[in-house]
Amino acid sequence: MLKGTSARIAAIGFALLSVGGGAIAEDGDAARGERVFQYCFSCHSVDPNERTPLEGPSLYHILGRPTASLPSFNYSDAMKKRGAGGLKWDAPTLNAYIADPQAIVPGTRMSAAPLRDDQARADLIAYLAKSGPYRP
Amino acid sequence: MRHTLLAIVTLILLAASSARAADTRYYQLQKGDYPHDVAVAPDGTAWFSGQRLGIAGKVDPATGNVTRIPLGKNSAPHGVIIGPDGAPWFTDGGQNAIVRVDPKTSTVKVWPLPPERSPFVNLNTAVFDPKGRVWFTGQNGVYGRLDPASGDMKVWDAPRGRGAYGITATPEGEIWFVSLANSYLANIDPESGAATVYEPPTKAQGARRVWSDSTGRLWISEWNAGQVGMYDPATKTWKEWKLPGERPQAYAVWVDPDDKVWLSDWGANSIVRFDPATEKFDSFASDKANAEVRQMLGRKGEAWAAESGTDRLRLIRYAPATQ
Repeated sequence: MLKGTSARIAAIGFALLSVGGGAIAEDGDAARGERVFQYCFSCHSVDPNERTPLEGPSLYHILGRPTASLPSFNYSDAMKKRGAGGLKWDAPTLNAYIADPQAIVPGTRMSAAPLRDDQARADLIAYLAKSGPYRP
Repeated sequence: MRHTLLAIVTLILLAASSARAADTRYYQLQKGDYPHDVAVAPDGTAWFSGQRLGIAGKVDPATGNVTRIPLGKNSAPHGVIIGPDGAPWFTDGGQNAIVRVDPKTSTVKVWPLPPERSPFVNLNTAVFDPKGRVWFTGQNGVYGRLDPASGDMKVWDAPRGRGAYGITATPEGEIWFVSLANSYLANIDPESGAATVYEPPTKAQGARRVWSDSTGRLWISEWNAGQVGMYDPATKTWKEWKLPGERPQAYAVWVDPDDKVWLSDWGANSIVRFDPATEKFDSFASDKANAEVRQMLGRKGEAWAAESGTDRLRLIRYAPATQ
């Protein structure tokens, strides 16, 4: 899933941004991002046909998706609250969340450690972007 | 007469309630410590894995004083256990390594996973076997074995891929682990490393953690099903019990020296204790919402829980069956 040519985050309109202390590097590389996805792999999938019941929601078409909006997933109260407040997984928000999940959504059940490397996060977001933007 | 009875019942309930409250002590850590797991050393010191900050936390149970020991660049420890040497040992996902902290000098020693298993297998939980070797799981779908004496480390692919989570050793030295994503129990041959899968009766139950009792029976927290499962290797039989409440979610499991089974239930925001003899549960609710206890360990008379959601450790002192 999502293997193949690298994509640059610049191509989907990201600039150098900083949200919640996490900077987005200008050029994310999806090929490198596939390797970074190992940090997410145990709990998330980008395969639309994934059937294994995983701890985290699907990341297929994640970019732009409203927070806590997959009806099939049992989100934490904290994530539901942010979703009700209008939070969406745009690139800056996703970047900041990966940089420090508890700082962006206090009380999130996601126990992943902060991914502090700016380039790694940019690569990961480029990889996630390859499945295309959110489609309501 | 009816009023007298009611008053007596009320007094008994109040007494029981206050006794339980008196049995619990919370240790408030600093905001962001995020204790993922906790383990108590033979001298009573509690150690926690500070996953978010990359630290080993050392708590004096008498004073509540906390010492924080950085484990290294990119550290993000998930699990902590106490080794036969009395030291805390960590499964450090951030460093993709097994890490030991010397309890006296605070010296940190790191055993990275082999390069072919980098950068990340999402190291989860560890346990020692009787030969002093560390067995561990990685949630991306691996399990492994480290001999600290020689430094030899071997890592194997788990059956069916991702999900390897809790791991335990029986008194006989058998090593078992469970898969959360793939809902099975597995036995590892300690020399060849081969894993044999055992299927719990409930499909897709989400076997998250496992712990052995004194007779080698395996107790499993079933996250998706909200059950505690038991597999007896001697009789090759299974049994499962639903936790109390409407939507239980069993996360941590630990069996105390009296073979009572302690679990955390996220659905009820509570610790529960299951007595296999009576098949009854006792509940010990947290006094704060969303405690999110991810792991428990303890020793005779003490059950420790790491409240990752409230940045606290919880100690429940209970009366052991035998002194």
